[in-house]
Amino acid sequence: MDPAPALYVIRIRGHLGATVLYAFPAMAAQRRGADTVLTGLLDQAALYGVLAEVEALSLDLLEVRQLTAQGESPESGDSRSP
Amino acid sequence: MTVISAPAGSGKTSLLRTWAGRPDQPYRLAVIQVQRDQQDAQQFWLALLSAIRLAGATTSHAKSPAPTPEFNGPAMVGRVLSELAGGRGRVTLVIDDLHELNCPEALAQLTQLLTSLPDGVHAVLATRRDLQLRLHQLRLEGELAEIRAADLRFTEHETRELLKASGITLSDAGAALLHQRTEGWAAGLRLAAISLADHPDPERFVTEFSGSNRTVADYLLAEMLERQPDDVRDLLLRTSLLDRVNGELADLLTGRPGSERILLELEDANAFVVSLDPARTWFRYHHLFADLLRLELRRTLPEQVPALHRRAAGWFTRQGQFVDAIRHTQAAGDWPGAARLLADHSFSMTLDGQAQTIQALLQAFPPGADHPELALVRAGNDLAQGRLDETAAHLAVAGAYVESAPPDRQHRLQVAIASLKLSLARRRGHLAAVVEQAKFLASPVTGGSDEDIALDSDLRAVALMNLGIVEAWSQGLPDAERHLQEGADLARRIGRPYLEVACLAQLGFASKIHSFATTKHRCREAIALADRHGWGSEPIVAPARVTLAGTMIWTGEFDEGERELQRTSRALQTDTGPGIRLLVHMASGQLQAGRGLHHEALEEFSTAEQLRSQLEGSHALANQVTGWMLATQARAGQPAQARAALASLDNEQAGAGEVGNARAAISLAEGDPAAALGAVQDVLDGTAPVIGYVTVVETQLLAGLAHRQLGDQRSANQAAERALALAEPDRLVLPFAMTGSGELLETLPRHETAHAALLADILDVVHGSSLAAQDRSASPQPEELSPSELRVLRYLPTNLSRPEIASELSVSVNTVNTHVRNIYAKLGASDRSSAVQRARELRLLSAGLTR
Repeated sequence: MDPAPALYVIRIRGHLGATVLYAFPAMAAQRRGADTVLTGLLDQAALYGVLAEVEALSLDLLEVRQLTAQGESPESGDSRSP
Repeated sequence: MTVISAPAGSGKTSLLRTWAGRPDQPYRLAVIQVQRDQQDAQQFWLALLSAIRLAGATTSHAKSPAPTPEFNGPAMVGRVLSELAGGRGRVTLVIDDLHELNCPEALAQLTQLLTSLPDGVHAVLATRRDLQLRLHQLRLEGELAEIRAADLRFTEHETRELLKASGITLSDAGAALLHQRTEGWAAGLRLAAISLADHPDPERFVTEFSGSNRTVADYLLAEMLERQPDDVRDLLLRTSLLDRVNGELADLLTGRPGSERILLELEDANAFVVSLDPARTWFRYHHLFADLLRLELRRTLPEQVPALHRRAAGWFTRQGQFVDAIRHTQAAGDWPGAARLLADHSFSMTLDGQAQTIQALLQAFPPGADHPELALVRAGNDLAQGRLDETAAHLAVAGAYVESAPPDRQHRLQVAIASLKLSLARRRGHLAAVVEQAKFLASPVTGGSDEDIALDSDLRAVALMNLGIVEAWSQGLPDAERHLQEGADLARRIGRPYLEVACLAQLGFASKIHSFATTKHRCREAIALADRHGWGSEPIVAPARVTLAGTMIWTGEFDEGERELQRTSRALQTDTGPGIRLLVHMASGQLQAGRGLHHEALEEFSTAEQLRSQLEGSHALANQVTGWMLATQARAGQPAQARAALASLDNEQAGAGEVGNARAAISLAEGDPAAALGAVQDVLDGTAPVIGYVTVVETQLLAGLAHRQLGDQRSANQAAERALALAEPDRLVLPFAMTGSGELLETLPRHETAHAALLADILDVVHGSSLAAQDRSASPQPEELSPSELRVLRYLPTNLSRPEIASELSVSVNTVNTHVRNIYAKLGASDRSSAVQRARELRLLSAGLTR
């Protein structure tokens, strides 16, 4: 497990209002269709903290993704860079 | 077993409450709701045990369980299981919010419990997420029922019913829309119902709601809050940072009176507010509801939050609820204040069994922050977990700080440091260091605030206990008795049952300078008190048990003594020091030697000797252990090895009476009775130090055996008679058995002894039987016997008939009969043998000890 913080993208169903957004101060929120996408630089502890908040507020967790430095997810195609 | 596993707001608790409230409930329910972020295993178990006792209130006479500073998880599980089994059958355990149990050991212990529930006991668990409970076995056996989110979801039909029950008129289409939008989520429906209840246009509300993409809880909460009166909204927001709230506390946070009424109304309106007690004084918000309110508070009134926490902390401090006070002080960001509170109260919190809570509070402090007072807390924490070197290090830090501490805090800090140093010294067995730290005990508890006195009393009781323990185990038994008795009395006064049991258990051990009857009585007292609190199988009571076993073995009750030893060993399964295990091996060695099993006895004594060398400082029983080991070695056919070991002893040990006895035993085994007589001369003329008179009994017997081997039967008989006289008051049997004095006694002319009954018992034991346990409950102190009654009493143990006694005393038979009647009455006896036993207990038969 890489201890260094990484960029995470977390997708939640529904639009998060101002109140609920206060639970994710370390994340930037964007609306994507009927969902909300939270983006933030998190180490593992912070990531699980965010997930715990999602659980506590009974939000619908749709997706959790880690982005590489190039801004692509590790599984997408050939990530072999020179 | 049933597990309800579903996200927040699914209706788990409502389901449990409704089910529990059914009038035809066949089972008794033990209900607990796990506290928020519970990291303390003991607190969890105490709550569960309390609930079980409450459920079975008619069967259990014990009060709520007392906490212990040293928590034994497996023992607790055992206790819960036995209380469940002992109750009159069908109990259901209900544990809500199990996901809040953030303590892996507690979960493991719970799994243990759940997989060994007695027949007729069921369990229902509610949690937000699936837990690591390893219940596969139950699942495979079909003993596990699960209720999940999908089961809890409202159907469209149920949605319509809910609306109807809440008095809300909504079209079928509207209801369908509502159901669809909330997806049957209970919390959503309830929040919607609150808003719909007095809404002018329910259909429009639902349409708007349906058309929004905002998450359900967010949207509906905002709606609900908006339509509350200002004072209600204000109250909800401000009190959201509390785990529980009452009217007074709410008034304090809002700055307005009348909060209690609002809370009651909210509960009546079914608005996520629930009362915690039948009197409806304390309330809790649904966790999800509270979380959302808290976020809203941070969003709308951010600058108020620290002040609110501080006000709450102040209130909890005044109520004496320090865990809550510290948490709120931390939340207010007042780290120095929190450190001070924690340092002041960690001691009593430890005694309250909250060691793990303390650890959690310690971990909440930001790393790198410098709070010297926390060193004291860390020291206590390390000590509780047995990390002695770290404890010393932290105490050094705390000690360095005291000089520069504010003057009003110095006394308290010094007392706390001294007390911890004393506990540490006791754990290490350093008597000198213990005595040094006990200086402050000289000043009695006076002055200061109530809090100071309470703290001082706690510290003082623990200090007395530690001092008494070290004294009892190294030397100075009279001092030990005094301190332990004082400690027990103080502990009883301040309501610390654990300390009381600890002191009494050690007091039983320290009573060995008294009659065996006193010792037995004290040990039984300690064990009874421990049993009342459910600590009968804990290490804390081991000193009393092993001492009791020892006294039984001394008086020939080998079987009963062995059973008690086994109980002690079972209780010592978890970590204990070498001191107590030494006692167990010593007593086992005595038992085996008494039964004539020399090799087994040698093994036990050797182990005891090894343990003795691990102890720091001198040990009160050192010479006894060494002496018996050498003597047993000789009797087991290894006199040469014993002689060699004897030569390696230092002068002080070599001069002890117990070692002199060993020397005699070795000589006897080597076939040199003259040397044996020489070896015991020092004891016989009183110049050699002995631990107690029991050594002298042994000495007399060894002398008697030597005389017999030298052909001097008269001297042998005299020695045997002296031994019997010494042994009579306490009815000692063991020395006779250990020294193999069977033949010595058999050649003693029966009519020449005044101790015929004891002699008969000893011979019984020597020939392989075990004496029955003398079970005597505490009888009141009897009336004094008159001198003539005492004269008659002395003849009761013999086999002389009443006419024969009358002629011996030159009185009439009627006189003797009258005296005997009075003797029976005064001793509370109904026949000759029980009168004799009672008289022995009271040491009324120790007439004319000859030496």
